[in-house]
Amino acid sequence: MTVQPATGGISGGPSPSGLADVIDTILDKGLVIDAYVRVSLVGIEVLTIDARIVVASVDTYLRYAEAVNRLDLAESGGQGLPEIMQNVTQGKGKNVTQGVLEAAGEKLSDFVGERGEKQETRSRRQEREER
Amino acid sequence: MAQSAEAANAAGQDVPEQVTKTAGVYIYGLVPEDVEVSSDARGVGDETSEIRLVRHGEIAALVSDVTLDRPLGTPDDLFRHGALLDATAAEVPVIPLRFGSVMTNEEAVVEELLTPHHDEFRSALDELEGRAEYVIKGRYVDQTLFREVLSEIPEAAQLREQIQGQPEDLTRNARIRLGELINQAVVAKREADTQAVAEEVGPLATLTVIREPSHEQDAVHVAVLMETDRQDELERVVNEFAERWSERVEMRILGPLAPYDFITARTQE
Repeated sequence: MTVQPATGGISGGPSPSGLADVIDTILDKGLVIDAYVRVSLVGIEVLTIDARIVVASVDTYLRYAEAVNRLDLAESGGQGLPEIMQNVTQGKGKNVTQGVLEAAGEKLSDFVGERGEKQETRSRRQEREER
Repeated sequence: MAQSAEAANAAGQDVPEQVTKTAGVYIYGLVPEDVEVSSDARGVGDETSEIRLVRHGEIAALVSDVTLDRPLGTPDDLFRHGALLDATAAEVPVIPLRFGSVMTNEEAVVEELLTPHHDEFRSALDELEGRAEYVIKGRYVDQTLFREVLSEIPEAAQLREQIQGQPEDLTRNARIRLGELINQAVVAKREADTQAVAEEVGPLATLTVIREPSHEQDAVHVAVLMETDRQDELERVVNEFAERWSERVEMRILGPLAPYDFITARTQE
């Protein structure tokens, strides 16, 4: 089914679902078969993705503060938050903010795209990369 | 897997041991019996597994064979599950199953799922006829969002002045307070903006669900069940918001999707 983008609008027509959109939807919504079937349901391991929870914490607050600190009030259309955070990370990788900044932004970003296939071995890979 | 073998034995089913241990039938969703599956659709788990229908009476299950030797949940798995159901939902009514539903074999699908609940599923599919889910998403443009907060909350602007040019360590408390104020403001804005969108799209929809935000800067996250014929009306409404909130909120519509958000409530009643 093709949908023509509506003219003039910013949103256009329906956009394709990205992985984040799919995860938002299929992992915790839809019919749960357990309620209907007990005998022949096969317990299969599903990789869990802990990426949906939006809980504001001190980390969040500090990140917001830094983004606002860097906000150029005079200029519109400056850098977006992700770029700012990238610069900060590269610029001065010091103390606690390092970890915070790495976890910032689109939480799924390292899951989306080619790296996704490596999820299963993720913990091992990270160890290696850190060395 | 040992569990499933035990379960099958407990039920007195004569299932070959090998089958219960290494393979199962993955179920995507339920559709009317008169549906056809396009041959190029591929299943989760194994790239070579083809999607097929297990029919019973007036309903059918969309299934594919799956091996149980690795956990499911790679991006490909998730995409295939979602893509198959959403493509189906664009054409025919479908009851989507949550990701990861696997039964031992086709007989089990028929005897334990389709047969006992035939009428219930049939009537749900009737209700879904001609309808699909659309998800309306809005994401705040951070620069605009922060400017808005600073102009609306004097204390936030003050705190920003205070931390400017100061080392992080010395301004930690001010930073935390500033971030907290911003967060509160975002939560309040999200609630108001989501409400505004839900009120406008509500009349087009059969059912509306306000979804939990899945990102800090989510402005709007609303799912609607509506007639696919009215999609252009939905686009018009969402485009109006996109224009009104230009530079402030990026609006998107996803769909038509399988009615994930509207199935659970229905069957729990």
